[in-house]
Amino acid sequence: MTAALAVERASRAFKNGAGIFDISLELKPGQIVALVGLNGAGKSTLMRVMLGMLRVQSGEVLLNGHPLASAPLTDWAKVGHLVEYPLAYPELTARRNLELSARLRGVSDIAGAVDRVLAEFALEQYATRRVRALSLGNRQRVGVAAALQHDPAVIVLDEPTNALDPAGVIRLRESLLRRAGDGAAVLVSSHHLDEVARIADRIVVMNRGRLIDDLDPAIPEIERAFFEIVRRDDEKANR
Amino acid sequence: MRAAIWAEVVKLAFSTVGRVGSAAIVVGISVLSGSLLLAAATTHDPQLLAKLGPVAAGDWQGFLLGAAQVSGAGGLGGSAVVLAWMFGREFGDGTISGLFALPVRRSTIALAKLTVYLMWAVVMSVLLAIALAVVGTIAGLGQIDAHTWVMLERQWALGVMSAAITLPVAWAATLSRSVLGGVSVAIGLVIVAQVSVLAGLGGWMPLAAPALWAISLGTAVSPVQLALLIPFGAVFTTLTALSWRRMQLDR
Repeated sequence: MTAALAVERASRAFKNGAGIFDISLELKPGQIVALVGLNGAGKSTLMRVMLGMLRVQSGEVLLNGHPLASAPLTDWAKVGHLVEYPLAYPELTARRNLELSARLRGVSDIAGAVDRVLAEFALEQYATRRVRALSLGNRQRVGVAAALQHDPAVIVLDEPTNALDPAGVIRLRESLLRRAGDGAAVLVSSHHLDEVARIADRIVVMNRGRLIDDLDPAIPEIERAFFEIVRRDDEKANR
Repeated sequence: MRAAIWAEVVKLAFSTVGRVGSAAIVVGISVLSGSLLLAAATTHDPQLLAKLGPVAAGDWQGFLLGAAQVSGAGGLGGSAVVLAWMFGREFGDGTISGLFALPVRRSTIALAKLTVYLMWAVVMSVLLAIALAVVGTIAGLGQIDAHTWVMLERQWALGVMSAAITLPVAWAATLSRSVLGGVSVAIGLVIVAQVSVLAGLGGWMPLAAPALWAISLGTAVSPVQLALLIPFGAVFTTLTALSWRRMQLDR
């Protein structure tokens, strides 16, 4: 089965020495992959590389088998992402922001898609409010809704539970599980190991710009196991 | 392209910058020009009348020449701020990351921004010409004759051409990734335009040609010199689109 999104031996270094190095990762349809790591581990950089926001210095990123630079626009229409900041303009209402996002992604039934996603993320009461007047958590909900409303086949979310309240976290969890069940390939980064363990088929640990190991989502005391993997990697690097 | 244009229209229409910029250009310039007319009508100070220049004549031609002088610098500055915001805000608000990985190319988004900006400039220039006609009529300048219509049309053209010469601002806001970077270049454009007139470059300098053309009633700038605005605008449109196409979020 062709990976929906694949990174093959990709490296991208910054002048300060940070970056990602020789990374290979595949997102397969129906699979949720969680990316975990400490701050500065390179999670956001990897996601930026996978979405074409940064070009690799070596290696390759493939969307449905096509190099990113030449991937058809029809393939990009089936990608949903939220990296760092939500696509939510403060001067527009939540509904208008979702309409804008849907139009840019070529959704045909815009009103229907917006109504559905407003209901999915319990945003109906905020639909006519400007985003600048929303709380941080509700702004994040609008961003997540904008990333998911077109039922993407590839979903990339960078710490999507940031600022979400417990109800928002549960809604997002259910949404991702349903979408993966429908065949979407999902990559999600998070600091909340217990949270990702509930939804991920695979948990990948990142440290110092490299994918260093996998965590079994079913393992008890997953945080302890995570820190042990990172500690071993740091010790290896310091030797 | 249609989706990107729709998005840019919505963003500009609902923004504070768009509303304030529109009001500053239409209401600000017409009120300022009307104030100059009022000052000319009520003063007997020869020094002040001399400073008011053509407005002191107290007729349509003097009034519209004064408006052209005001909009030559003020209108250019106001338009440039709006353009700087349209591009720079995506970086300031962090929404630029959401404009990647879409079925709309980033170069298309940049061209949509420029298209909407020029459409906005056309509409603002029409509204400003209408507002000036209303202000002049209220001030008792008499009926609008054929010569005045030509001057109003020239005022409209000045507004559109002033918007065209601000296109480097879009590129500057893109490269600097900030509204402020674009605004800084806008200030630089106004200064370069003024200095180039003093240096005698006149109509051959695209930044100065539109205002010179309007203020001289079309005599000081040739059609060829005005036509230089086309390659000038095309170069900066291309540079901006290429910068958006090649953009990386690496800083």
